[in-house]
Amino acid sequence: MSLLPHGVTDVMLASGGAPIDLNHPGHYVHWGVIQISVANLIVIAVMIVLFALAIFLPFPKGRGRR
Amino acid sequence: MTAETQKWAGRTREYDLVKEFVIALLVVSVLTVALAALFSSPDEKQITISTWSRHAPNDFVLTAATELDGTSGTATYGAPYTHTADAAQKIGPVSLQHIAGVTHPVDTVTDFVITPLTGVPADSALTTALGQWQGAGTSQRQRWASSYDDALAKVTDNDPAKVPPGDYGPVPVMLNRLLTMAQSGGLDGALLAQKQFFATDYTKPLLFIADGSYLEDRARAQHLGGDQWGMMNETGNYPGQAWLWLYTFWYQVKPFSTSPNADALVWGLMALLSLALVLVPFIPGVRSIPRWVPVHRLIWRDYYRGMRPPDGYLSASDVARPVQVSRRPIGGQVHDDDAGADAGRDREHDDGEAAGASGYGGRSV
Repeated sequence: MSLLPHGVTDVMLASGGAPIDLNHPGHYVHWGVIQISVANLIVIAVMIVLFALAIFLPFPKGRGRR
Repeated sequence: MTAETQKWAGRTREYDLVKEFVIALLVVSVLTVALAALFSSPDEKQITISTWSRHAPNDFVLTAATELDGTSGTATYGAPYTHTADAAQKIGPVSLQHIAGVTHPVDTVTDFVITPLTGVPADSALTTALGQWQGAGTSQRQRWASSYDDALAKVTDNDPAKVPPGDYGPVPVMLNRLLTMAQSGGLDGALLAQKQFFATDYTKPLLFIADGSYLEDRARAQHLGGDQWGMMNETGNYPGQAWLWLYTFWYQVKPFSTSPNADALVWGLMALLSLALVLVPFIPGVRSIPRWVPVHRLIWRDYYRGMRPPDGYLSASDVARPVQVSRRPIGGQVHDDDAGADAGRDREHDDGEAAGASGYGGRSV
């Protein structure tokens, strides 16, 4: 009989319990002297997208308090 | 009434900073929990002296031999660990390490080898070996340790079993027992032994491990080496510290990448650049960047819509046009737009448009 909580499998525990396990060898992009992980590139891209959204999305309007 | 005490007479708009803060806090909290549940966190197992000595026993013994003959990285590091002359990095003629002095003295022979071994009970061969070591003079000890270190470095895989017979004194026995102690976990405990209740000072075991090649090999395999932009990286497929890109960038290019003083030089350069960042409002030209790249006018476009940019400012659609520097009377004086910090401050109070450059223009909170 398993002592694990319902829904938690041995595989999940072995892989750190996360639905998406990132504990595998990383992927890296090399470009001349530049060397950056794909994970960092994704985070930087997300930051740029958020920055652009923050600039171009309109401010929510207040309720007639202008 | 001076310009600094004049009441703002331009338009204002309400802005609920507390509401924005609470919403941001909630969003970030939910995101943090959700992402942690989805991706968990890096789960690289801790590297201890025990794991090192079990996975790479030959590297451990070779490293211990260098600790004993005083040629290891720690033994020759200089301040803050040793008094090795000319060992510390310099910025020009200045050695900041030496200015601070040896604040955490480490004697690799005593701290890493002899003292831990004296705690091993009921081992007559070790007791004899330690007695022979402690009864010998300094030069004799050095000869034994150096001979064994050299011999070990020459044999295949640095395997102690392949070392040819020689005048090594008690060194082989001592290092053999140190390996046994390390593999059992005893050396980790011995190097962590401190006066305080909670053992939080990992300096000695970390220095010992770092002297070997096992830790560096593991780090390089994870792209954590200094010449691999390692500061930015995390183990596995996790994102790392992307904000350290500039700091680690310098290590990749000359002269830093080939300089023995790279750490000190990069630190000094980043300190200078950080100071420049703090002093941006006082640096002519740099402080005018918001005027040339008026992102704030894009953010607060509702406020600026329909308003003519003040002299010297560009609208978002005008960034390609040349900048017009104005000379106009402010508070009874004439100021250049780049004439100094005071001019900028006066103008900010005098002109609501200019106040927008700080990101808070025309608002009341």
